[in-house]
Amino acid sequence: MEGVISLDMNEVPYPPPQRIIEAAQRGLSSLNRYADPENLEYLRRLLANYAGVSRNHVILSAGSNLLLREVIHIFSKGRKVVMVSPSFLPTVEAVKQFAIKSVSIRLSPPDYSLNPEMLMKTVKEPTLVLIDNPNNPTGKILLDRATVVTLTQNPDIVTVIDEAYYEFSQVTFSNLVHDRPNLAITRTMDKAFSLAGARVGYIIAGEGFLNAFSSYDPFLPQCSLYAAIEALNNLSYVKQNVRRIVEERERVLRKLDTLGAHVYSSRANFFLMKVELPGIARRLRDMGVLVSDLSGQLSPGFIRVSVGTREENDVFLDSYTKILEEEGSKRLFSTNHTNHA
Amino acid sequence: MEDRGVRKPGRTMKETLGLIVNPVAGMGGSVGLKGTDGEMYKRALELNASPVTPKRTKDLLSHIRNRGRIELLVPPGRMGKEHVSGLGIPFTVIGMVEEETSAEDTKRMAVEMLREGIKLLIVVGGDGTARDICDAIGLGVPVVAVPAGVKVFSSVFAVSAKAAAEMVDAFVEGTDVTEEEVLDIDEETFRRGRLASSLYGYLLVPNVREFLQAGKEASSVSKPSVQSKEEIAAYVVKGMDQGILYLLGPGTTVKSIADEIGVSKTLLGIDAIFEGQLVGTDLNEKGILELFERYKGRKMIVTPIGGNGFIFGRGNKQFTPEVIKQVGRENIIVVGTKDKLSRLDCLRVDTGDLEVDRLLQGPMEVTVGNKEEMLVEVR
Repeated sequence: MEGVISLDMNEVPYPPPQRIIEAAQRGLSSLNRYADPENLEYLRRLLANYAGVSRNHVILSAGSNLLLREVIHIFSKGRKVVMVSPSFLPTVEAVKQFAIKSVSIRLSPPDYSLNPEMLMKTVKEPTLVLIDNPNNPTGKILLDRATVVTLTQNPDIVTVIDEAYYEFSQVTFSNLVHDRPNLAITRTMDKAFSLAGARVGYIIAGEGFLNAFSSYDPFLPQCSLYAAIEALNNLSYVKQNVRRIVEERERVLRKLDTLGAHVYSSRANFFLMKVELPGIARRLRDMGVLVSDLSGQLSPGFIRVSVGTREENDVFLDSYTKILEEEGSKRLFSTNHTNHA
Repeated sequence: MEDRGVRKPGRTMKETLGLIVNPVAGMGGSVGLKGTDGEMYKRALELNASPVTPKRTKDLLSHIRNRGRIELLVPPGRMGKEHVSGLGIPFTVIGMVEEETSAEDTKRMAVEMLREGIKLLIVVGGDGTARDICDAIGLGVPVVAVPAGVKVFSSVFAVSAKAAAEMVDAFVEGTDVTEEEVLDIDEETFRRGRLASSLYGYLLVPNVREFLQAGKEASSVSKPSVQSKEEIAAYVVKGMDQGILYLLGPGTTVKSIADEIGVSKTLLGIDAIFEGQLVGTDLNEKGILELFERYKGRKMIVTPIGGNGFIFGRGNKQFTPEVIKQVGRENIIVVGTKDKLSRLDCLRVDTGDLEVDRLLQGPMEVTVGNKEEMLVEVR
């Protein structure tokens, strides 16, 4: 939407380099054809190389959420599903649709971390564990290597970790999939690669997943395929994207902190914020800034804000400041709130 | 005696809403009294406390967008008319009240307005006022509660007067309604610096949760409250065992389980069911322990109080430490809608027995839907 600043979808605000746009345009010239299997194989090799795994462990898809949905559909049969709450909403909805039984582990304040002991208590029977790491919407790293190793030692437990924001967190368990047939990692090129519109997702799958996906057709559009290949052939812009986003994220968090906002540190290209003002998401939207309202997933007042360009972030900060001023002052509000807490 | 208004004859196409202002609500706050229940109002006056409701009411009324689509029924004087004159909203004064108003006036006016066919009641006050409304009209008509009291802990309240105006607008524009909790705060205990709240009852409120004190905006995965409760009830009932006594605690989610079984449960009391039959109603500890002598297999079903998350120690004190010990942690079934759980950071217990509290602490599975559990920390 023109004139609206979109900080609600966790996209990276920077367009891809010209060479990638030109590659996508070359893909357009083959629109009458399905994607060339050789090109698809080439993309798999590039992604395998990027992830440091063997090519046969990589499965492509038009978006990682489709893969997650497929995993849930296939592997929830005969298994309980364990996930965290809050979590990536399409995953939550797919679990609701397919799972015969589900348990959500509630992430709680003050730090919204996942207690490994609590997780282990829930996996006493055949289980599909689904965890986004970093978690969306908290931006928190929930898993450590020891927990993943312990989980995957039990062959009755299938573990799927969503690493959609890996490039920002730099935390991955992809190197475990060779030895852990019951472990899979989902990734996407939507975020750090500036390719949200191309919808290229992939799964780095342990041996146990490969059969189930042997006939899975990735159905990648030509322009997405060309763009993804070009992107992986020169990753310097991805690193630059990540550096700029992380710098901006930290700048915005510092600024919000000085404004008295309750913000949470993040390992992704978004952050969680608690605001004691009614209808904050709607009020920001009325000022042309879209953020994600989490009041359906967390206690009242939480929003998730994607990191935009410096200019976009400044508009967000200005809008938030104006709302605070409208309310009188943040100090006055804070006092009122304390009285009611 | 205040003047008595004359209701205009005939119906208009406008929505008729009631407005009741508790003129003394909130007066204790500025003078440190933590409430104006009972004799405390007079003490507040002695301390030169100023009324706070006029500003709250003005803030509310001046922010309603759909003024052209509503007309108000108001009590005379400080309970209504004084606040609406000159604001451009048509109003009719009904009833009579003395200069010094009381809880009885609030209740009586609410009943009169309900009889007059109001579609929504706006009430300005605190927890005590909400309890009066609860007593008077129950779930008879939806309520928008504007926070003006010293104690405003019930989840029925809007977060502010402006938010209340948004709720009025949403209602006029056709939003649906949901049940929210009214809490009973012990003012004497509150004055001693401790918050002791228990569930008092329920009111219907417009379902725009982002403006509710303990509320939230419905998410894409949430369902209407009634549907969620029915889903939970069907799942729990399906899993009920033969030969087990089930103690059902207070709350509408638990009541939906009794409804599913087909027995009539008290909303705020503790009832007992054995193999589909009601074997105890509105039980106290003695009654529960007597039942335990006859029924050796026992389970209890409880739901957290919205906003604070208490599963024991608030609103169900009949579940004493002794009762809880005899049932055992593994036989406690906690139920709650995802909507309610999403607003809670954790579950809480305060049984009065630290040993029992410790027994209950740690992760607890809460049934939130059909074959759906949420693991929540009890603190």
